[in-house]
Amino acid sequence: MKDKRQRLLKWEFALVVFLVIELFLFGQLSPSFLNLNNLLYSMNDFVYIALAAIPVTFVIITGGIDVSIGAMMGLSSIVLGVLWMNGINIWIALLITLLVAALAGCLNGILIAWTNVQPLVVTLGGMFVFTGIALVLSGGSSVSGYEGISGFPYEFVELANGQLFGIPNPIWILGLSILFFSFLLHFTRYGRNVFLVGINAKAARYSGINTRLIIMSTYMLAGFGGGLSGVILTSYFSSARSDLGSEAVLPIITAVVLGGTSIFGGKGSIMGTAIASIVIGMTQYGLQMVNMTSQQTNIVVGTMLILAVLLRNTHWQKLSKSLSIMKK
Amino acid sequence: MPFLIRVLKARELSIVLFLVGFFILVGSINKEFITGDTIALLIKSSAILLVMAIGQSFVLLTANIDVSVGSTMGLSAAVAGILLTDGYSLWIIVPAVLLTGVIVGLLNGLGVAYGKVPSIIMTLGMLGIIRGTMLLFTEGMWIEDIPNFYKELSGAAFLGISLPVWIAIVLVVVCHLYMTRTKSGRCFYAVGDNEEGAVSVGLPVKRVLVLSFIFSSVSASIAALLFVMNIGFVPNQTGSGMELQVIAAAVLGGVSLTGGIGSVIGAGLGAVFFTVISNSLVYLKIPAYYNDAISGFLLLAIVVGDSQFQTYIRNQSTRINRNRQKGDSKGERQTTTIT
Repeated sequence: MKDKRQRLLKWEFALVVFLVIELFLFGQLSPSFLNLNNLLYSMNDFVYIALAAIPVTFVIITGGIDVSIGAMMGLSSIVLGVLWMNGINIWIALLITLLVAALAGCLNGILIAWTNVQPLVVTLGGMFVFTGIALVLSGGSSVSGYEGISGFPYEFVELANGQLFGIPNPIWILGLSILFFSFLLHFTRYGRNVFLVGINAKAARYSGINTRLIIMSTYMLAGFGGGLSGVILTSYFSSARSDLGSEAVLPIITAVVLGGTSIFGGKGSIMGTAIASIVIGMTQYGLQMVNMTSQQTNIVVGTMLILAVLLRNTHWQKLSKSLSIMKK
Repeated sequence: MPFLIRVLKARELSIVLFLVGFFILVGSINKEFITGDTIALLIKSSAILLVMAIGQSFVLLTANIDVSVGSTMGLSAAVAGILLTDGYSLWIIVPAVLLTGVIVGLLNGLGVAYGKVPSIIMTLGMLGIIRGTMLLFTEGMWIEDIPNFYKELSGAAFLGISLPVWIAIVLVVVCHLYMTRTKSGRCFYAVGDNEEGAVSVGLPVKRVLVLSFIFSSVSASIAALLFVMNIGFVPNQTGSGMELQVIAAAVLGGVSLTGGIGSVIGAGLGAVFFTVISNSLVYLKIPAYYNDAISGFLLLAIVVGDSQFQTYIRNQSTRINRNRQKGDSKGERQTTTIT
């Protein structure tokens, strides 16, 4: 176990080194890139990815996957908008929205934990259902999907656009999220149980862990994360749309896997996911600075994902093997 | 009873029953739904999804997944569109488009089989790469002015069945025969059922894996040819989100994501059913924005219901097996047909 943790730490370290090199290179390419204010505000563009990816880490550690997270973001955005449009106080609407998102995740989780259907299929169905409900809600309240609901109060828009002590609010929210979920995953009994389920679900069950409850709860956390991310995105654009986040699934899963979480479960860390999200975000931001469109940066993000896993698969194993031979 | 169990276990049957039931249900509300014209139109519009579901089922059978098919279709459609507007002949265009699929599939397959990258990661990464490449290639523009002769191909009919549907039918039949009647076709089942077992009996597992990804991507390229034919232009978001529909269709048709179970016929039926659901809403006078919610709900209901049902059936057959072990001669006769 200790060996595993050390290797993970190394991976996070490698990510940080990569991030520094990246910042340096982009700084050389365009001098305005390294302006501290620019860097901080550019984080706004991808904080939502990190906010959603952090709780998804729990799901992937149990060996599951959640492709409905993008749909969850659109759903929570439109729920928030519709509630507010019907005269509910924005902060109460926000709480209800987070609750709805957690419940939606809970629904995924119940189906996955209590039936034999694979997580991918359930969350795929969930994705259609959530996108569908979001469309029905926006269609039913005669908001066309692409126009959205706008005109939110100033305080709510400030949630993602304002700043506190000179640091943009979304970064504070991200920091809190990292602290909370890191604590939950790495320092509590619950977190240990999540790892155990991912390493060997049968063994976990025989040792008296309620594996179904653990699995269900991870999807609930993921739903909550999707909801939070949707809310922040709504505030950022100050408009609620049912298609927000529809393209977010690729970067979210990329962030989790790039952060060192094994897609087969049992391995991963919140810090890794958070750093990887920043790496992806900075890559996208830097490439945009050198005039690439956000869709074209897909090529880079996709390549990074494949290369990272390739590297971890071959290089690291060989390295540890040759090290153990040297020790002998 | 054992025969009944075997029939009930076949997912193709349950999907056909669902399909018939759905047709009767919608038809009883709106008679126009069960006219020959409507059905022909439905089948024609399901051809694209059907072709892709066939290819995907090869990958799913080997216990892998290919989420890059939507973007592969987009890139292939862009290749087809650009070559068509440049006035090349079909003898160059069709091979070029299919080659696009082969290259993508080869990369996916090599990564999964030799690089040992989990297929969902490999194809998710490729999704980004291919979509980006398509946008670089088309400069983010829509491709219009596809020559008329090509668009008219989609209306060409033989024996009252249009060309896209013929292509889909031929592919289903050929793939089904290949999968069930040939030794190399059955390899896909063997690899998906037990990869280590397949290695130890000397099957070329890695080659089978690469081949399955090539089939999947090439089917996306064929679908792209049909798409350009049907739609007549290539929007820059062609194929996005298709991958999830394709997987949903295959799963609806009884192809298991854990490998080894399913058939191309099932996947094809799943694709038809998926299209029927979303097109039937018009006949039920339900606004189109209910589409996703209803498809998703039905997908979940069918998959969850089926899994509960299969568990029940399995418990029934293990009970019979247990009876046999007890020496119950009646039970023995019953189980021989299952095992």
